[in-house]
Amino acid sequence: MNFDLSEEQQLVSDSIERFVLENYALESRVAIVKQTPGFSLGYWQTMSELGWLGLPFSEDDGGFGGDQLDTMVLMEQFGKGLVLEPFLASIVLGGGVLKRVANEAQRKAWLEVVIDGSKQLALAYAEPDSGFEPHNVAIAGSKTNDGYTLTGTKCMVLHGKTADAFVVSFRTSGGVVDQSGISLALIPADREGLTVQGFPTVDGLQSSELTFDRVSVTADDLLGEIDNGFGPLNEVINDGILAVAAEALGAMEILYKDTVAYTQAREQFDHPLSDFQVLQHRMVEMFMEYEQCKSLLFRATMEVAAGGDDAQRCVHALKHLVGKAAFFVGENAVQTHGGMGVTEELRVGHYFKRLLVIEAQFGNTDYHLDQFSA
Amino acid sequence: MDIKLSNEDLSFETEVREFLAGNAYKDGEDPNKWRMDWFEKAKEKGGWDVPKWPAKFGGPGWTPNQHYIWQKETARSSTPWDMPFGLSMLGPVLMAHGSEEQQERFLPDIRARKVNWCQGYSEPGAGSDLASLKTKAVLSEDGSHYVVNGTKIWTTMAHIADWIFCLTRTSDAGIKQEGITFLLFPMKQEGIEVKPIITLGGSHSVNTVFFTDIKVPVENRVGVEGKGWTYAKGLLEHERTGIAGISNSIVALEDLKQKASSVKRGNGSLMDVPSFKSKVAALEIDLMAVEYTELRSLATASAGTAPGPESSILKLKGTDIQQRIQKLTMEAGGQFSAAWGGTNAGPDFARGGMGGYMSSRVYTIYGGASEVQKDIVTKKVLGIKSTKK
Repeated sequence: MNFDLSEEQQLVSDSIERFVLENYALESRVAIVKQTPGFSLGYWQTMSELGWLGLPFSEDDGGFGGDQLDTMVLMEQFGKGLVLEPFLASIVLGGGVLKRVANEAQRKAWLEVVIDGSKQLALAYAEPDSGFEPHNVAIAGSKTNDGYTLTGTKCMVLHGKTADAFVVSFRTSGGVVDQSGISLALIPADREGLTVQGFPTVDGLQSSELTFDRVSVTADDLLGEIDNGFGPLNEVINDGILAVAAEALGAMEILYKDTVAYTQAREQFDHPLSDFQVLQHRMVEMFMEYEQCKSLLFRATMEVAAGGDDAQRCVHALKHLVGKAAFFVGENAVQTHGGMGVTEELRVGHYFKRLLVIEAQFGNTDYHLDQFSA
Repeated sequence: MDIKLSNEDLSFETEVREFLAGNAYKDGEDPNKWRMDWFEKAKEKGGWDVPKWPAKFGGPGWTPNQHYIWQKETARSSTPWDMPFGLSMLGPVLMAHGSEEQQERFLPDIRARKVNWCQGYSEPGAGSDLASLKTKAVLSEDGSHYVVNGTKIWTTMAHIADWIFCLTRTSDAGIKQEGITFLLFPMKQEGIEVKPIITLGGSHSVNTVFFTDIKVPVENRVGVEGKGWTYAKGLLEHERTGIAGISNSIVALEDLKQKASSVKRGNGSLMDVPSFKSKVAALEIDLMAVEYTELRSLATASAGTAPGPESSILKLKGTDIQQRIQKLTMEAGGQFSAAWGGTNAGPDFARGGMGGYMSSRVYTIYGGASEVQKDIVTKKVLGIKSTKK
């Protein structure tokens, strides 16, 4: 067993850390959030040029042959700056499905342009009543001569407004909550009958809702086998969980370290706040939560990358622990910063807001505890 | 001990319900006119427009049980918005420590909701340690006025307030609690700059306020110079009981249950999911207990003892409950709670749910952070004195 990053991973990590330090100070981030499309096209281009967008794709697909561990290294650094660019949406989620099940023609048409950043993908799987279950799919494809037509709504589609195409789950057989009978298709954003309504989320990112009004899905659009879409979809969601858990870890590191620094600088009752034992112990606990998350992140990511039998359980455990820690670290960072902690002026609140969104994404803390114990 | 309300209390409860139902806001009504009429009618009931004021100052002079009934009933009815600063905070200070002239000058306008007040307490360097405040008030040589310079922070509604009641430092001699003076002055004047602070819920209610050479006539000083801390402390205890918000939490919990019941999970609703249900139940149990902690505290008050350190327990427990309600509401909205403006599917209540949760974090910070409340209980209730050198 070895917990060290490879030389290459270390280089990537260092270079992303530098990028975040140079470009993602709070004021810069706030400025990017305010302009359309809610992230920096320039940074997106830079990420492509530095090869980051190709990290988790095979060399045959034009990538660098990395795995979940490489994505983890990148996302942890992104989490320290709350990076806004659609890496998760386009590379981990949309690209994650394509690299697993796309046919030759689909790979040719999409992977090169996704990796060079000129096109973006997004993943549309959640529905108004699906709760946190990715296999709860109500949108049914009605059979046509050449494929299907879809009518219904997909919700909370990350970075949907800027996506050029959507990976969409829909039902081709079985009941609403069956894992079998789910199929996947790649549908261009300009397909007739498809409407994309964008809106911001509390963390400054961009989400969207997709309305399908008799949208046609042709045989060429289908991704992978009919009825067997849940397997790859679930794998991609697991990748998404690993990615946001790594991002959350980076954000929690900032939160606990900022809190330690603030209590040493802020004086009340003629003492720095860090003199008070109740705050000292609180910060020790924040640090412990952070370290525990790091351990489980390593465990789950290695287990998934190795295709281990325990992978799914580890992912549930990780999402639960990270959610719990996110509340603990976030709430205490804000509380310890006092009034300043609840303003837009300090970064702690911004980091906490991102953690809240992560907590509710891909199933929340309680959901994954239930799944773990099921 | 008797858990039942007396017949007098029961008929009072009916009277309150009838009043509230008869004066509820009706669709299409001019909200401002309704608001002013409501207070007028409440006044005609015998001081119901100033429930907490003593009879001597035109209040209803209610018993603790009557206050409890009023709180409970108003929490679940449509009542006009009101600001606590003049009514519940400055009012009692003026009644206890203001001159007769000040009482006549300020109380009627507070009661008529004509003048909006804000509270100038915290400063950038004086938060939990409020007594270390530095805003200076220097008495002029002829003794006719003070000149005030300094900065206040977290001043709620300073941007719409007409007047401020403000803690200022008039002396550095002795311990820091001494040398604090309680002054009143208008907000709309040259030399006062109000800068908004945007909080994490995205809203603007608090401000930083800068004072440059503000002249305050000595007749606007409440009580004695240097005794302002004593007056302010009493007021803080008042504030801490008020912000426990227990009656509102009881209504909010019912609301939460309804919201969660409307969220589909599997074949049932979120209220059928054991992990969620048990969190709601645990919250309800805490709330049942704190409701009676408040009643016990009210009973003490009726026996003539001033609300003392037990008000600190109410603030700690009450704000914890308020935060948990916000958190569970956010959880009930699931990932839809992340939405920030714009339209989206999912339950209506979910929109902005995370913003609401973030806003609720301030409950355990304002009006004396939870850590400070616990220090007060440690010293005043448990009687523990620090022996640290």
